[in-house]
Amino acid sequence: MAIRNFWSMAAAAVGFRLVLVLFGGDLHLASRPEVSTPLTSIRRLAEGYWLKQASMSPYSGSMYHGSPLLLLVLGPLTNKRSVGHHDHIYCSLIFVAVDFIAAMLIRATGRRLQIARNRNLKSLELTEAVSNSVNVSAGDIASLIYLWNPWAIVTCVGSCTSPIENLMVVIMIYGACSRLAPLAAFGYVMATHLSLYPAILIVPIILLLGYGPDAPPTKVFRIKSSSASKTDVSDNDKSSSSRDVQQFLWKPVFHFILWMLFWTFYVLLLSSIVLNKVGGLQEMFEKTYGFILTVKDLSPNIGVLWYFFAEVFDFFRSFFLIVFNMNIVFMVLPLAIRLKHRPCFLAFIYTAIVAILKSYPSVGDSALYLGLLGLFANELAEMQFTFFLFFGYIGVSLLSPVMHNLWIWRGTGNANFYFATGLAYTCLQTVLVVESVSSMIKHDRKLRLLVTA
Amino acid sequence: MTNNMAAKPNGTYTNFGINTVGIIRAPRGDGKEAIVLVTPYNSQKVTPNELLSLALGFSVFSLLSRAAWLSKDIVWLSADSQFGEYSAVSSWLNQYHNPMFLSHPVNLDTKIYGANQFLYKPDGTAEKAELMAFKRAGTMAAALIFKVGETRKYGDRDSVTMYAEASNGQMPNLDLLNVVHYLAVHRQGFRVNVETFNSLLSSSWLRVIAEVFQNLGSVLRKINPDWKLDVTVPDYVEGTANLASSMYNQALGVPTGSHGAFRDYQVDAVSLEFAPAFHLKNENAKSSFLLRGGRLTEGVVRSVNNLLEKFHQSFFLYFLTAPSKFISVGVYMIPFALLLAPLPIVAAALAGGSKTKGKLEDECKTKGNADDLQMEGGSWKWLKSARVLLIIQFWAVLVSLLPYYISQIPGAMPIQYAVIWAVLSITILIILYAMFGSPSRAGVEWKLLKATMITSITIGMGLMSIINFATAQLGALILIPMCLFSRPLRAQLEMNFLPRTVLLASNILLTVLGFPPAAFLIMKGLSKGSWTVDIVGDFWLWMEFLWEWSSATYLYVFLVHLPCWLLCIHVLLHPCYQPESKMKQE
Repeated sequence: MAIRNFWSMAAAAVGFRLVLVLFGGDLHLASRPEVSTPLTSIRRLAEGYWLKQASMSPYSGSMYHGSPLLLLVLGPLTNKRSVGHHDHIYCSLIFVAVDFIAAMLIRATGRRLQIARNRNLKSLELTEAVSNSVNVSAGDIASLIYLWNPWAIVTCVGSCTSPIENLMVVIMIYGACSRLAPLAAFGYVMATHLSLYPAILIVPIILLLGYGPDAPPTKVFRIKSSSASKTDVSDNDKSSSSRDVQQFLWKPVFHFILWMLFWTFYVLLLSSIVLNKVGGLQEMFEKTYGFILTVKDLSPNIGVLWYFFAEVFDFFRSFFLIVFNMNIVFMVLPLAIRLKHRPCFLAFIYTAIVAILKSYPSVGDSALYLGLLGLFANELAEMQFTFFLFFGYIGVSLLSPVMHNLWIWRGTGNANFYFATGLAYTCLQTVLVVESVSSMIKHDRKLRLLVTA
Repeated sequence: MTNNMAAKPNGTYTNFGINTVGIIRAPRGDGKEAIVLVTPYNSQKVTPNELLSLALGFSVFSLLSRAAWLSKDIVWLSADSQFGEYSAVSSWLNQYHNPMFLSHPVNLDTKIYGANQFLYKPDGTAEKAELMAFKRAGTMAAALIFKVGETRKYGDRDSVTMYAEASNGQMPNLDLLNVVHYLAVHRQGFRVNVETFNSLLSSSWLRVIAEVFQNLGSVLRKINPDWKLDVTVPDYVEGTANLASSMYNQALGVPTGSHGAFRDYQVDAVSLEFAPAFHLKNENAKSSFLLRGGRLTEGVVRSVNNLLEKFHQSFFLYFLTAPSKFISVGVYMIPFALLLAPLPIVAAALAGGSKTKGKLEDECKTKGNADDLQMEGGSWKWLKSARVLLIIQFWAVLVSLLPYYISQIPGAMPIQYAVIWAVLSITILIILYAMFGSPSRAGVEWKLLKATMITSITIGMGLMSIINFATAQLGALILIPMCLFSRPLRAQLEMNFLPRTVLLASNILLTVLGFPPAAFLIMKGLSKGSWTVDIVGDFWLWMEFLWEWSSATYLYVFLVHLPCWLLCIHVLLHPCYQPESKMKQE
């Protein structure tokens, strides 16, 4: 069932953002380490744009590390000032719209998942048993979580480019869920172009395009069909439907790959046009992907890498760079094997892992995966430690600015104080990932038991 | 040496103060660091003791101008304190740290008057060069504020009182206090005091406690001579009085003098108030005092001058029990952590307990209630209580912002302000409940509500203990028992008579004490001995005072303490319907 007055709540969220942007004055959010990273900071983007206008490479001087396309779109807006508002008000207004679109796409994705879920439960004849006790409109919840998440609001008002990155990831998932190969490929290419890490989402995207949206494990369908064939041989519908679920469709995947190549080519072409005469693609790769992978900027953020690489000896640096970057890649395959029947959930887990382990994390990344978490509200209804997680997130997000102040401004603390909150934050996220995966697996097991019973 | 005009706003052009600044360039330094000496004086009404402190400042300054060993610049600021010492020093510091770049000379005077920082003759043009030449030395390493107070006791040793508490309980580095104390006591023979609560010094119950401790300590010493646990009665009483004063000043979050302005710029500063033990017309005594006071100042300057690095960061968090004794963060955090430790455990027990109970009920119940908006999954039940918490926190934010708007109403008595504030707060609460549904009708289990309250208070206390430890400690003493003892009055009916009465009495007592205005009223009433309605107005004045000094204690009272109290009331008045009975009623 849908949430009552969804639209009024969504409108209130957008209105709240607008009020903060238009009348909030300068909240100095853009300079908070939790909100803006070297990759997403709008101030750096403005600097890059200025350099480009001065016919210099936007990447010179290690200021800007984002995409040249963002320079093209947002750059002219950074020059415009409006009296009485903060500097980047026009960018902020764009980000409000971007957040709204992302929330709507999350809602549409939720709808798709809901339809698939209802169909699957019907084919398993579990609608009575499962659906009535826990059945909420997950898409509505997810989009409301995304819209009302304080971190999403802070990121949006603080004008960082992470809403755009988030939007691209959401476009990709939506496109894959509705089997729109061009859209999915566009989202994938853009998200990878903007922040590199979404590259690992190719696994869930291909699974989504191949198998369709999340479904209970194939084993459940097999048990169901075998038991059905035992009791009633003539009933062919279920076995055929279960075969539908299992089948991997190569056509959309093939389309996706073709479109992906096309978009990649197109994006690189556009980038090289933008960077024409002021630097080349080579420099772009070095200053964006290279900057991400080699963790050059060690200014404090909510992640854990800055502290580690500030401490590590130089001759170990490359070794640990490989270790930390491989950390993300190591998780891809085991999770893909275990959760291949739920590609959307797999995409959520990947985004959460990326948000934990990426080199320059910000709260904007967390806003994305917390929004996606809402898509699985029905499946995760029995999740453990939610009380602890909720208050843990609140506590850490309040504690982190205070510790930062204590270290940087008051001078009565040191780096360990701030790093401790980063560590606690990482632990919380880890608990969230572990708990959500285990409760999802538990949910699948419950379905199997219900089918066999 | 240069003299410079600085700063002091009062809104009018005719009424202003002038800070005079002198700077000595260090012969051995590179001009990147400086030591600041401050002598406050009232330029409108100069008293003999202020003259003496100016004389002390000037003699030290002229001596230092000849010193060959200086490696940090010396800045001498004689702050015109006719509008308060703090504002004079803080406006100078503000100007020192915020250089003005005058790209629009046309706007000069309006801008400067608007910024309210610098004083100018209205013609503006002639002074521009002088403004440009606002003289600076380097980063401030430390600051020493000294002034000569009234003569208190004749014939005794001259005494020095150290004031160190800056805003929000921040303290200067302990090393600076140690340097001052050591030089004053062991070199120059001053008696060094810190602020103290005089009423505690003469209180008899404290003396009784001290005697118990002394006897206990001597018994223990007989058992094992290595245990040095004995403390003499006067030591204990004095230490307690000093500690109470230190905690009070830190908890209030309002600086005790102009050193607070330095701490806002991360400069360690301490105020020394000399109390001479002679008559100020006694020339011999005066010159001897100048000699010793000057030596003390010079000694401190030398000590800081020779430092190559900053003071170590570990010695910022402490309470003073005597000028040379302190309680470090490592010690005082232990009791606080012990006080806080039960909270997460109780919260986990309550949340976990109610969850298992909920599961059992789920199994018993048929699958009804599906059209309820919240998820039925047992582990998400707390969402309702989290919603109650959010509503109450939202209310608390509104209440804490109200005084800003109320104080715009001109010409009302403090008591009227206070009444308007209270009425508006209650109205807002009723409106919020009407909009979002009141917690009593939302059907929240009281255990979950209590768990939420306790978790929120854990977060709040944890935060506050970092921002201002003393506030958190004092607040925790009331708030934590209040939270832990809270249990719905209806649920208490099932208990036996004796525990019920005890629980009821403690609930009522703690709830009354936990309400900030009530606590203030009782404290004021006890200290004054009179119980008039004016106390309500006093509460307003007190809050206004905290607000104006932007003390974190204000935020604590309204964003942590008050919401917790309200939640506690909700827990106490919880209707306690069992889910079954609720279903029957429906």
